[in-house]
Amino acid sequence: MSAPSNSSDETLRREFEERSSVVLAESLTRIDSRIRSRLNQARQAAVAEVARSGKRPGFLRSFVLMPTAGAIAAAALVAMVLWQHPHSGSGAVGEGSAMTAEDLDLVADGEGLDLMEDLDGSFYEWAADQSEPGTETST
Amino acid sequence: MSGFATLAPPYSMPSASHGDVGVADSSAQARSRALNQFLSGIELKAFKIAQAGLRNEDDALDAVQDAMLQLARAYADRPAEEWKPLFYRILENRIRDMQRRRTVRGRVIAWLPFRGDEDDEEMDPIAQAPSEEPSPSHKLEIDEAMVALDTAIGTLPRRQQQVFMLRTLEGLDVAQTAVAMGCSEGSVKTHYFRALQALRAQLGSFRT
Repeated sequence: MSAPSNSSDETLRREFEERSSVVLAESLTRIDSRIRSRLNQARQAAVAEVARSGKRPGFLRSFVLMPTAGAIAAAALVAMVLWQHPHSGSGAVGEGSAMTAEDLDLVADGEGLDLMEDLDGSFYEWAADQSEPGTETST
Repeated sequence: MSGFATLAPPYSMPSASHGDVGVADSSAQARSRALNQFLSGIELKAFKIAQAGLRNEDDALDAVQDAMLQLARAYADRPAEEWKPLFYRILENRIRDMQRRRTVRGRVIAWLPFRGDEDDEEMDPIAQAPSEEPSPSHKLEIDEAMVALDTAIGTLPRRQQQVFMLRTLEGLDVAQTAVAMGCSEGSVKTHYFRALQALRAQLGSFRT
């Protein structure tokens, strides 16, 4: 029963799409010369970018990735050193690996760094006092 | 390692990856020509799409220019068939960034007590704000239907606006639109359906 109205609506929808498409296409022809000129300049700049990258020798093009590769290598080196010498710090024996992993997590995690910046120093001094013998009842 | 090795097809001609500047040069020239052809075919539509999102000619030009450069820098080596959805993906990201920046800037400036005392050359948030009215030059140049459609498109939510422009003006199919918008094909269909419903409700059966 509802098929004819669906079909009619579908037809109206298609007509609307076609008219919209025509209007939008027409609007492109009205874009003024200032805009066209700026778009042309932008295109030439983009094309020149490709031409420049092509003239750079292959081994030089790979230098573009050098900073990223360097950062990754440095991070890997630090991780390796920490992993190989887990007990070199002042932490208790047996806690080294866990501490190192936690330290690495903390360094790798940007939120962790944010958290460290937000530390309330006075609160932690108070907490340390609370854990020392004889100071539990000081407050 | 083996994955890396498979990147180069065994039947390929000597490529530019070994520092052969001559071959790289001709390859880059061919890419430049292809890119020039591609960009010249889409630049007006891209501008129109950016303008629909930003409601400001200069911002739209900046967005298109950035998208062109980004495509050239990062994706010129990709097959040309992939350029269109990639370009529109970049453009949409750029439009979204500019919209966010504009919103934040508007909020910050609204809170500043000394606003209005700054140098007149500074960015004017009112001038940069989305406008429902087309510029005077547009009023002279575009006909009633274009103004009506333009205004109606401006009232759509961003995603509906985006899908409508990509499909109706640029002619992307559902799959390409999904890539350009970074969403599923189902979302594309839903946004497009809603966009058409909203525009038809506003414009009725407008005539061209």
